[in-house]
Amino acid sequence: MPRKVHPLRLLALAAGALMFLFPFYYMLVGSLQSEPDTTPAGALPNPANLTGQNYADIDGRLDLGTTLLNSGIFTGGVLLCTVVFGVLAGYALARLHFRGRALLFNLMLLVQVVPFQLLTIPLYVLIVRTYGLADSYAGMILPFAINSAAVFVFRQYFLQLPKELFEAAQVDGASELTILWRVALPLVRPALLTAVLLTFIGPWNEFLWPFLITKDADMQPLAVALANYMSNVAARAANPYGALLAGACVLAAPVIILFVVFQRRFTATNLGSSVKG
Amino acid sequence: MPRTKRRGPLLGRQPIGIAFVTPYAVFLAGIFAYPLGIAVYMSFHDWFFAAPGAVVDRPFVGLANYATVFTDPAILRSFGNIAIFLVINVPLTVALALGLATALNAAIPFRTFFRVSFYVPYVTASVAVVGVWLFLFNSDGLVNSVLGPLAPDPPWLVNSALAMPVVAVFVTWKQLGFFILLYLAALQNVPKELYESAAVDGASRWRSFLTVTVPGVRPATTLVVLLATITGANLFTEPYLLTGGGGPNGASASPVLVMYQRGIEQGQAGLGAAIGIVLVIGTLVISLVNRRLLERD
Amino acid sequence: MKRILLALLSATALTAAAACNVDGGGGGDAAGAAEKRGPITIWYSNNAEEVAWGKAMVEKWNAAHPDEKVTAQEVPAGKTTEEAIGAAITGGTAPCLVFNTAPAAVPQFQKQGGLVALDDFPGAREYIEQRTGDNAAQYRSPDGKYYQLPWKSNPVVIFYNKAAFTAAGIDAENPPLSTYDEFLDTARKVVRGGGAKYAILPAPTSEFFQSWFDFYPLYAAETGGTQLVEDGKATFAGDAGQKVATFWKTLYDEGLAGREKYNGDAFADGQAAMAIVGPWAIPVYKDKVQWGSVPVPTSKGTDAKEIHTFSDAKNVAMYSACENRGTAWELMKFATSEEQDGALLEASGQMPLRTGLADAYPDYFGQNPAYTMFADLTARTVEVPNVPNSIAIWQALRDAYTDSVVFGKSDPKGALADAATKVDQLAGQS
Repeated sequence: MPRKVHPLRLLALAAGALMFLFPFYYMLVGSLQSEPDTTPAGALPNPANLTGQNYADIDGRLDLGTTLLNSGIFTGGVLLCTVVFGVLAGYALARLHFRGRALLFNLMLLVQVVPFQLLTIPLYVLIVRTYGLADSYAGMILPFAINSAAVFVFRQYFLQLPKELFEAAQVDGASELTILWRVALPLVRPALLTAVLLTFIGPWNEFLWPFLITKDADMQPLAVALANYMSNVAARAANPYGALLAGACVLAAPVIILFVVFQRRFTATNLGSSVKG
Repeated sequence: MPRTKRRGPLLGRQPIGIAFVTPYAVFLAGIFAYPLGIAVYMSFHDWFFAAPGAVVDRPFVGLANYATVFTDPAILRSFGNIAIFLVINVPLTVALALGLATALNAAIPFRTFFRVSFYVPYVTASVAVVGVWLFLFNSDGLVNSVLGPLAPDPPWLVNSALAMPVVAVFVTWKQLGFFILLYLAALQNVPKELYESAAVDGASRWRSFLTVTVPGVRPATTLVVLLATITGANLFTEPYLLTGGGGPNGASASPVLVMYQRGIEQGQAGLGAAIGIVLVIGTLVISLVNRRLLERD
Repeated sequence: MKRILLALLSATALTAAAACNVDGGGGGDAAGAAEKRGPITIWYSNNAEEVAWGKAMVEKWNAAHPDEKVTAQEVPAGKTTEEAIGAAITGGTAPCLVFNTAPAAVPQFQKQGGLVALDDFPGAREYIEQRTGDNAAQYRSPDGKYYQLPWKSNPVVIFYNKAAFTAAGIDAENPPLSTYDEFLDTARKVVRGGGAKYAILPAPTSEFFQSWFDFYPLYAAETGGTQLVEDGKATFAGDAGQKVATFWKTLYDEGLAGREKYNGDAFADGQAAMAIVGPWAIPVYKDKVQWGSVPVPTSKGTDAKEIHTFSDAKNVAMYSACENRGTAWELMKFATSEEQDGALLEASGQMPLRTGLADAYPDYFGQNPAYTMFADLTARTVEVPNVPNSIAIWQALRDAYTDSVVFGKSDPKGALADAATKVDQLAGQS
């Protein structure tokens, strides 16, 4: 239902968007400068001061290809596990009654409350000593494998689906597995998008855990390589601040691109139609 | 309240549910519950991490670590800071996220651009964005130039009273994109008929927002409050980066930061674990209170 | 509520199981390991020059010892290095050697059982003491053994921006910077004269190690070589500590030093006319600043040939996860031989902790006269005290310092005295 667009609303939105984008825009400009210009005037790109050198510096020092691939494997592994096992768990927690459901639900809430730093070292000892997974992708992925917030989102979503959908199938005598496969999964797309966007950020930007798990430069994801770069090498670059910003832009770019591509699907599915129809 | 006897079969009405959740449950047990158990154990000892096979003495100290948590001024201050943070961050997040999501839900031109612009800070690594904010809030940065004589002295981030609020605003700005998404998804579930009937009744846009939208997204609000509270309570990177290790006299230290300093940097893992456990319990209590409040009316 | 309690109880029930297993897993066999030979892994920092040196050194060793190959990995030379090493010790995955071990972290690693006493190797003690001389004593642990091999230092001095000084009308070749009064006058002149926004901008933040680059170098100079803690007692609450604190406080109070963290290198960007760093910074400043260097000031002025300063040393330590310790020890000796020390010097300009440095490498110092001051200072560097809870001690000092000196919220006398009491208690635990 298209609503009348109030010009004031548009203006307010634009002001808000500007405030949100400004620091990022400033980052972009800063990453393209050859000399750091920290005065307010420096916020406007000065053609004389623009260069792609900062990006070239990074590419020269880091192997962008390998590190991006590692980031992809790490994040992809987490996404896969979260989607597959998370949907199962979220559906079961929402729709099925079984022993231990309440306990699992509370445990899931508890997971989100506990800060990762509390568990880091015991987890490290567990994964490295007991499971022997140092220097491996599995070791990197394991602590993040199933994102509990995503499970929560899936559960929330399945709870909101109208009961009639499932009751209709039950009346037809379908098994729970069939119901899951035929009824629930096709509808899960909006929740899937939220969950993917939610789950993606963590492993993609995660620095500390992969850094602890492996020192092998070939296995380090981009966030770690950039952090190493920023902590030491960047100081030597012609424009260290610019190099830092260039690194951050490189790290953020794939996520933004993904979001731009997929955000359209966000409101496409209108649930109302699946109930009426 | 009479205790309900467990009804139904032993494993529940749909025991296949157990099969569905087994991978997740195993994951939780192995990756979460077990290290948490170790952390609890550590908090009752004078614990520090040691090399495998090293023979070290780690005496049981009962509640001594917890006593330290409640008496050490630096630790107490960090809990106070996080309370200030939550009071600013959570309401601001809810209000802004809902408002912006509602605005973004309409068929406005450049919708993609707006959505992306609010989402961008969320996906950018804090480490990079902080530099920009440091520049903005510097003593001769943009904000102070605009404020002129109203600029606070000492400047923002080195001002004990203002440091934490600045961190709160920064985190709100950074996280808003995600909460807008949550609200956007929830807004899809508010039946259009309700808006139509409100319009028929002659309600203004603001009124229909209050009577239709806000109640309609109640579950999402609960979720947003819950997640914002949890993320806020576990704040670590932002205070560290913005104020370099806790700010003037620990004015912007967060409990997780102190936990990291004592537990990992200074090797007092038992004390660090105690701080963490207290934080978890505190967060649970606050979350419960929030849930009760939100679900009451 | 009941369900949450249930969940928590379950988690705690796992505690019992967890506790039994926490230190499970066998350790290495220490007795025979001292003789064993074979391939080993080492870590070094990712400082560009050190990497270049490290790669060359490893290549040379590998060529000569094909059965005892060394695999080298870079670790970032930052705060997180200690965390990575600590975690690696606990996990049993530490490498044999880390060429970036901070002396301040050694007591903690030792407590964890993560380090190997070098005294176990025949002739090790003599080797260390012969190479580093009297200064080696600072690197001994309380039990009298060496758990680290003193490797290289970066004596902290004052760098100044010649162009900024000239712009403010100060003699850029012999600036008056040796007494506190002279330094303060020069600082005022350079800021008022428009040379730079700040006279000097050490990091005003509260990380435990920041005191190594403002308070401690001046304290070492003022006291003629006293460490922060000696014989288990804090030394800094006395007269000398007060003088140093008051000096810095004046700089902050008059706005000559900045209270806000600067994002980047203030000296390289021209925001500060001076910096307090060591020779590792020279390649960073190379094309950006025309710099000169002088020793840190003292209250009455001390001759450059007698003055002390902070060492900012990084050492090599052997970790208990190491199996082929014989090889590791031989590599340590190789990497600190006269030849390799010379290579390090030439590659990075950092000072190997070797006595008679200027005489050992006359060619290098002949070609780089600016470095002779550093070589000379190496003999009179003061290290962080090797005492239990050393990091907590530095944190206590830093908290008192930022509160009283940087932000002026309390009186330095009282703040330092309180910190000293805390430090005494921390150093006394074992």
